[in-house]
Amino acid sequence: MSDRPNLAAQPMPEKTGIGLRAPHMAEIMARRPAVGWLEVHAENYMGQGPAFRALERLRPDYPISLHGVGLSLGSTDGIDDAHLARLKRLADGLDPFLISEHLSWSAIEGVYLNDLMPLPYTEETLDLVVEHVDFVQARLGRRILVENPSAYLRFRHSPIPEAEFLAALVARSGCGLLCDINNIYVSGRNLGFDPIEYLAALPAAAIGEFHLAGHQANPVGDSVILIDDHGSAVADAVWALHGEALRRIGRRPALVEWDSRLPALDLLMAEADKADRLSKTVTPETDDVQAA
Amino acid sequence: MSKLRDLQCGIGRAVLGQDEASIVSAIMGDGLDPAARLNIHRNHYISSLGEALKATYPVACRLVDERFFAYAASEYIKISPPRRVCLFEYGEGFPDFLAAFPACASLVYLADVARLEWLINAALHATAQAPIEASDLGHLDSADYPRLVFALQPSLRFIDSAWPIDRIWHLNRPDAAEVGAIDLAAGGCCLEIRQSGEDVVFRPLESGEFALRAALANGRTLEAAVEAALAQDPMFEVALALRHLFGEGLVVGYTLAPPPNPVQG
Repeated sequence: MSDRPNLAAQPMPEKTGIGLRAPHMAEIMARRPAVGWLEVHAENYMGQGPAFRALERLRPDYPISLHGVGLSLGSTDGIDDAHLARLKRLADGLDPFLISEHLSWSAIEGVYLNDLMPLPYTEETLDLVVEHVDFVQARLGRRILVENPSAYLRFRHSPIPEAEFLAALVARSGCGLLCDINNIYVSGRNLGFDPIEYLAALPAAAIGEFHLAGHQANPVGDSVILIDDHGSAVADAVWALHGEALRRIGRRPALVEWDSRLPALDLLMAEADKADRLSKTVTPETDDVQAA
Repeated sequence: MSKLRDLQCGIGRAVLGQDEASIVSAIMGDGLDPAARLNIHRNHYISSLGEALKATYPVACRLVDERFFAYAASEYIKISPPRRVCLFEYGEGFPDFLAAFPACASLVYLADVARLEWLINAALHATAQAPIEASDLGHLDSADYPRLVFALQPSLRFIDSAWPIDRIWHLNRPDAAEVGAIDLAAGGCCLEIRQSGEDVVFRPLESGEFALRAALANGRTLEAAVEAALAQDPMFEVALALRHLFGEGLVVGYTLAPPPNPVQG
């Protein structure tokens, strides 16, 4: 993919970043705390009002990552041109060092389900997602990262393992991957796969970002389903898996996400510090980032 | 149709609560009822959109209490699923839904309070443009003034209500400290909503000024807007009102409408 701009024309931040949520905006504007970088949900800044202007004012002080939740890369409805145009306008204005989206779908028959819905992993799905990622990257004029989803169900006909599906997507579209450690853990528990095997099957060099977040255990019938609610501290088991990811994959820009039951900013920053400390204790086996 | 298309349409209908039976066989149980797994997504759909509506309509939520609001929101979500991605654009029809919702018919002012909240939300996401000065019109022939059509700040919104919705709003904000009684018989209000710095503010206007600004915001000519204002208030001071309009930085551009009665040659 030599014709594409680098994964990041800007230098990769060393320190862990935090997901910027609206209730923290005023405090971050006032304090300019020493976090490595900020990631925002792109859709929350697609208006033109004070929220967007505040983000513009933070931009000189922090690297910004745009994390989309609405492109619906796996939908047979196709990519919403108007939505993609808004994402491009936002990206052109903020010059983010990363742009990411999800391996999922959200819109069908014109209705937006406001959820990251699971895909069956088939050749048909792969062709569709590759076509959509190609389209998005061409329109944005840059490479995007695609995030592995958290899953609560799998389909009867889904012959390609998810990690292999992501590897094929990388190979065919030239996209990078956003490796969400919590999602691997949650999906592994909910669907019964081994997170370490999953990590091993991912194309390490294509991984451009790690996500860390909390989840919640919900009883369903006689079982327990883990819900990726981003509503608590990162679980010990997820920290352990992150250590394994750092060892196998190497260091990448890492982000702590917290969305529901949002804590005080200091607590969120303490989670990011914890990720930094963990990163310093692990010696990577490899540290190859895929050349652009 | 493709298999993936069939699957997604089936899942979509199940999430919307329309038909689940035809799609559960495509889902692995893995020790659970497949319908219970699908239900995780259905629950998320209802609860996350309910939260989005609550974020846009916090005062309406407080007026009816959280449980009733969640119920009303879930009924609205069933009949009005989102068609756009950005959640701050979801729920424009919720005030009309509340107006027609029998369970809250006794709260006669509720729908208008919700309409005010929608306009506040819309104003919050509008762009702010650089204002022009009255002197920027200095080169125009005064005979053309009636044909002026002003472009106003994009955040400007107007609402009139038969109820004192400004006072109801202030006393029922989630962070309201003041406690006070509201006299519904006190009469209605005409409100102007707009961005001010990094906030959205609203204030009551006198009937003439409200008519003038609302007409201008609707793209009417200055002549038509002044007629509307004078219809409300025969003593309306046009020159003063225009000085205020420019002085508050609300005019961002202008065009001239075609002459209504072209001179025949």
